Amino acid sequence: MNSDLLRISSSPHIKHEDSTRVIMTDVLIALVPAAIWSVYAFGYRSVTILLVSVIFSVLFELLYQLIMKKPLTVTDFSATVTGVLLAFCLPVTIPLWMVIIGDFFAVVIVKQLFGGIGRNIVNPAICARIFLFVSFPGAMSSFVKPESSLSAFALTLKPSDIDAVASATPLAMLKQGQFPSESLLDLLFGKNAGCIGEVSVLMLLVGAIYLLVRRVITWHIPVSYILTVAIITYFFPRNSITIEFMLNELLTGGLVLGAFFMATDYVTSPATPNGRLIYGAGCGVLTVFIRYFGGYPEGVSFAILIMNLFVWYLDRYTKPVRFGGDPK
Amino acid sequence: MSLTFRGGIHLPENKNTDQCTITRPREPAYIRVPMSQHIGLACIPVVKPGEVVSKGQLIGENNNGLSACIHAGIAGKVLRIESAINQNGRRDDYIVIENDYSGAVSPDIKPCEKKISELSSDEIIDTVRRAGIVGMGGATFPTHAKIKSAIGKAQKLIINCAECEPYLTANHRLIAENAKDIIYGAKILLKACGVTTGYIAIEDNKPDAIADLKKLLKGDSLLSVKVLKTKYPQGDERQLIYAFEHKELPAGKLPSDLGYVVFNAETCFAVYRAFSTGMPVTERVVTVDGDCIVNPGNVIVPIGTPFSDIINFCGGFSKRPDRIISGGPMMGIAQWDENAPVTKGTAGILALSKDMYHREIPNCIHCGRCVGVCPMHLMPCYFAAYSKINDYESCDAFGVKSCVECGCCTYVCPGNIPIIQYIRIAKSKLTQKK
Repeated sequence: MNSDLLRISSSPHIKHEDSTRVIMTDVLIALVPAAIWSVYAFGYRSVTILLVSVIFSVLFELLYQLIMKKPLTVTDFSATVTGVLLAFCLPVTIPLWMVIIGDFFAVVIVKQLFGGIGRNIVNPAICARIFLFVSFPGAMSSFVKPESSLSAFALTLKPSDIDAVASATPLAMLKQGQFPSESLLDLLFGKNAGCIGEVSVLMLLVGAIYLLVRRVITWHIPVSYILTVAIITYFFPRNSITIEFMLNELLTGGLVLGAFFMATDYVTSPATPNGRLIYGAGCGVLTVFIRYFGGYPEGVSFAILIMNLFVWYLDRYTKPVRFGGDPK
Repeated sequence: MSLTFRGGIHLPENKNTDQCTITRPREPAYIRVPMSQHIGLACIPVVKPGEVVSKGQLIGENNNGLSACIHAGIAGKVLRIESAINQNGRRDDYIVIENDYSGAVSPDIKPCEKKISELSSDEIIDTVRRAGIVGMGGATFPTHAKIKSAIGKAQKLIINCAECEPYLTANHRLIAENAKDIIYGAKILLKACGVTTGYIAIEDNKPDAIADLKKLLKGDSLLSVKVLKTKYPQGDERQLIYAFEHKELPAGKLPSDLGYVVFNAETCFAVYRAFSTGMPVTERVVTVDGDCIVNPGNVIVPIGTPFSDIINFCGGFSKRPDRIISGGPMMGIAQWDENAPVTKGTAGILALSKDMYHREIPNCIHCGRCVGVCPMHLMPCYFAAYSKINDYESCDAFGVKSCVECGCCTYVCPGNIPIIQYIRIAKSKLTQKK
């Protein structure tokens, strides 16, 4: 017999192959279609923004952990996902240095200072987006028409270049009580002005189906979120044609991106099925409220940010009844 | 429509040995028999070093409380009685017997003369007690005590052949080869408990055994086969009863409170043997498998046989094992000694090479997968989180005492957290506080 040491550990002795890295890789794969569409819609500048965002997210995580002498976790790809998601909700005209500031805020302030992966209380990408939004409202709300040629590598774009192709987002039109100039099909395919990754609802849905099939996300949050928005906008429209208005609200403003990719972020969403349903419904109500009565045309990121703060309570109060009932 | 329960996982079955007939290796040169192989009090050795024992002879008993007798599995000389750490990490007495290969059988071993119908409940209980029969599925609860607790309460009896742990096929093979005997043992148990309805619960991944049983039980008034969906942990008696009845067993209650009593298939076989030949529990079927074993298979070995003998019989190791497990991969115990003895509860010996961990730093990402798979509907991620910061009261508030340590949560955890280990710590600390 051999005299090699045997490993002793607590049971179980087998493990499912899914690790955090596998899950994050799945999320990245699911984001690919929308990323490809962003290149088609906004040109190579969106590739630059995506790359800058990912590289600096990972870099900031690495630097922070090296400086703070913490174990390195960049290999779990969570910072990569944060980088992609942040880039997805930025306009293509944004100066690159703002992207870097956003990455720093997302990875270092929101995630690492709270204790790293799994310990942040709000979604880093969403929070960084809102940080940029309130810090640089001008740059964050200058949108351009798709298929407009912008310089791919310019650190900042000339205002005159932006003005030449500037366009209002569908949501801004809805805010003023009008229908957007694009047809519903255009909104579905993503031929409207908006952030890099949010415009093509179709491509996002392809990725979302992949995530659902791979069981990375469950249906609870996206379904309850989108259903809530649909119900409220159908019964309380800001316009006379209810169905069309409802569909416009659903296909714009990053709702699909938010519902499938941002609100379902594991760390900042409840772990119980009922908690997820309530959380999704809460996001839906807040989204519509902010869109209707808020100062900004869009409400998805604010809604998710606010609901993030309720996750612990939702988990706590939607605890499943244990097998055999709770002891009296 | 197979019966099932809520939660749990369909694990990769790895039932590689389900067509390997049970073989009997040559008897080992010596056996080391631990004195606590059951739930309850440890036995006190009744033989002395130097004494010559024969097969089936009583070597340990304890009449002061819940216990199960222990008998010699081979004939030979008692070398010594030593104190050592057993599989569960507790100190235990071991009787070491050297085999003289005479094969002498104890003169006390006599088959039961009476027919089942003539036996009284007390006679059966007494025979079962003297034969040292325990739950052979791994729980090792003394069977005579279980029968006693079921009398007058249980109306239905389940023979548990779920065998939901991956790799293990000992029960499956036992049914495939000795279905008649198991049914006979089940009828003795039915008689003992005073029950007239019995079910043989079997998972749908054993179609050959199901077909055999159905053929044998055609027109049987007492026993019938119930097919269960293959899902871990279907073999847990709570989940079994839920699958049958759709009633949840309240925390701290016994199956007999819901009118059920559950026995393992191999326990039935042991009962049959105790009546047909008079032989007590001196041997058991063990599945030997894992990617490090050259010839995986099922063997029947005397209680106390060292693992190393069995592994050698199965061709030894093909590569260096990372861990050797006594039992199944989900709830078995990793061994530090390849000479650990087979006990009454050892259903399998696995030698696995792959280190199961993802080699990532453990981090909970709050994904909720553990919540989804927990068959007890708990939130394991919070047990781990609270146990980590020594907040055992919060673990209790989240229901850590209901955990059955099936390992589903740890199996699915993408964050690589040893949740079960944290749960065990929390449980033991809570018990200490009382």
